[in-house]
Amino acid sequence: MTTSLSRRRFLSAAGLAGAGLAAPSLLSACGGGADAGKGSGKGEVSLWIDITGDANQKYFDEKVIGAFHAANPDITVKTTYYKGQDLRQQVQTALQARSGPDIVRGPSATQTIAWSKAHLLADLTPYAKQWGWNDKLAGWAVQAFTTDGKLYALPMRVDTMLLYFNKTLFTQKGWTQPKNRADLEAFAADAMGQGIIPFGSSNTDWTAAGEWLMTLFWNNFAGGDAVYQALTGKTQFSDPVFVDTVSLLKSYFDKGWIGGGASKYFSVPAAEVGAGLGKGTVATIPQGEWYMSNIGAFFGKAGNNTNEWDWMAMPPLSATAKADSYAIGIGGSFAINQASKNQDAAAAFLNWYYGDRTAALQRMSDVPATYNIPIAFKADEIPQKTDPRAARVLTEVDKAVGSGNYGYVTWTWWPPKSDVFVYEGLEQVLTGKITAAEYCKQLATTFTAERQQGNIPQLMPRTSQ
Amino acid sequence: MTTLTATPPAATPGPTRRRAVWRRALVGWAFLAPLLVLNVLVVLGPSIATVYYSFTDWTGIGSANLIGFDNYTRAFTDPAVHEALLHNAIWFVLFLSVPMALGMLGAHLINQVRRFRMVFRTLFFIPYVTASVINAAIWKMLLSPNSGIAAQLGFDQAWLGDPATSLYAVNFVVDWHWWGFLAVIFFAAMQNVDVQLYEAAKLDGAGRWQQFKSVTLPGIRPTLVFIVLMTVIWSLKAFDYIFIMTHGGPANSSDVVSTLMYDQAFNQYSAGYAAALGLSMTAVTGLVLAAYAWLRRKGWEE
Repeated sequence: MTTSLSRRRFLSAAGLAGAGLAAPSLLSACGGGADAGKGSGKGEVSLWIDITGDANQKYFDEKVIGAFHAANPDITVKTTYYKGQDLRQQVQTALQARSGPDIVRGPSATQTIAWSKAHLLADLTPYAKQWGWNDKLAGWAVQAFTTDGKLYALPMRVDTMLLYFNKTLFTQKGWTQPKNRADLEAFAADAMGQGIIPFGSSNTDWTAAGEWLMTLFWNNFAGGDAVYQALTGKTQFSDPVFVDTVSLLKSYFDKGWIGGGASKYFSVPAAEVGAGLGKGTVATIPQGEWYMSNIGAFFGKAGNNTNEWDWMAMPPLSATAKADSYAIGIGGSFAINQASKNQDAAAAFLNWYYGDRTAALQRMSDVPATYNIPIAFKADEIPQKTDPRAARVLTEVDKAVGSGNYGYVTWTWWPPKSDVFVYEGLEQVLTGKITAAEYCKQLATTFTAERQQGNIPQLMPRTSQ
Repeated sequence: MTTLTATPPAATPGPTRRRAVWRRALVGWAFLAPLLVLNVLVVLGPSIATVYYSFTDWTGIGSANLIGFDNYTRAFTDPAVHEALLHNAIWFVLFLSVPMALGMLGAHLINQVRRFRMVFRTLFFIPYVTASVINAAIWKMLLSPNSGIAAQLGFDQAWLGDPATSLYAVNFVVDWHWWGFLAVIFFAAMQNVDVQLYEAAKLDGAGRWQQFKSVTLPGIRPTLVFIVLMTVIWSLKAFDYIFIMTHGGPANSSDVVSTLMYDQAFNQYSAGYAAALGLSMTAVTGLVLAAYAWLRRKGWEE
């Protein structure tokens, strides 16, 4: 008889132990659930969020979490900061394992639907009724996170696309803000002729940046109405108007107007593009409203120049698109983890965050375009100290939504796989791997399949909101 | 004359001996237990789960439905996988040849000098000990077509943005990060080669190249074989630099199987398919290990 651990005994024991441990995890993955509960409404709740930079995190700690603690001494919110691209994967993995934060900083509406369908998010409907959230937040934004009559998340930030420009450079060159496609292309050709990149752009640090461009071009060439028709399934994304849009975008790349051409768009770091805007080697940057919190680093003393920046709406690129139209969407969401043992306390935080209008408007004023939650307000309610350019985003978007003159951003209204294809497929168009028509056909196929599966949120209708 | 006859041991152990045997076995398991539990939790459990999910349509969230071998069939016919495998093969050839040759040359050169050896070894080692995230971020800037090294020298080339060069540009950075480590390892191995062999070779009229070929290389063969094996495995699981510098782009031009797998799992919501890709690569790695074991048995290492 031998007393040593033979290899055969060791492996068989390890295999059995592994199978025993793996089995429960497989079962839970198939729809089981851990103990969850509303809790006492007190104690600690966790939040994982993708705020980067010391100053931004300090502001969130002091003005959001600190202010909440002062108003709610019985609840402690423990915040963990992640990088943006990492957060969704971290949260998704944790939710699937029935763990993770109590307060879930979710991705876009369509991706959050997937989490809701997998029963990973708590039903917020009772809380919405209890605290009247539907009256406090814009109806279209709440509807985007409602499926089968149940509210599963709250909209975190109103998103839109803007065309930032070097105001000083425009003055020096005698350029005026383009009002239509002819103006825009004349400006682009002139800038390019002078060695200035007309539209700075890069996907080096954010691979999904391509969808910002597609959002702008679809809504400003095909137009908001055409996009709405395709999103509701009445037309197809393979229709000529969408193919023409992609062809137009590619032609801008081929001329070097966007980012200096496709290969540079794929390789120049975003900070370099921003610095170029500040110095005047780049004339404009098409970017989301969130860029307003970064752009200051490239101008004035911080950018080692005396230039000034401003923004304009992207002009209509066809007769069917309207002027002063803004693509609207939601940048992320807040939800409550179904597996949370303290859902009431998490809901109390959300109620405080969305319920205090004065504090919400102050946050919008303090940090431009970062805390723009969809609440109704009058122009004179915006704090006086707000940067006029940031205040103008609030009022212009409000006006567009109020008059029904808006389009749709891809990261909110396109289903998850279609959304990913929008920017991954665009890379193939720009490198000549596929044509614009093939791109649109593949998008239409993916979109139709996802739409039939119900993976699309309730759209903003084509009326004033 | 008397004969001493040894008394044969008892055929079966007594109760005391059995207890001692069990106690020794128990102590052995007790020492193994912490590592065993850890391995079962973080390696074996997830591995079994991965095998299971590779036969399902799991999206990464929610429930999973068994779909048989569909994921494996898809992997065999997916053009993106074929392209990624080709990139893996290119990566493998470059990663096996360039840093290895540079490492060998670096080690041989250090071996020739008598002063500042430690300085050279430290300098060679710095890229390896710097975090890949930092290396990749710095090289992204250095390779910028507007302000990078090449741009300063007058070249208008987007190394990372051109599909024809993106894979090679990332591989260049990885080779830069890796060769110094190999140089230090090879140098350590060269230190153990008997000096008398070199002297004998010199007496026989061998030049530097012949000394290197006939004395140094055979002398460091066990290290060389081990490094080749590790390089093969590392080249199959190449991920971090590619993910940070190009995300496999533009248009999949620098995708290898691991980055494709990541994209499928986290962007395309095809975690089941990603699991099948991962297991397929595990099988390839297993074949490489088997080949290595076979070569060792054949005495290749000696």
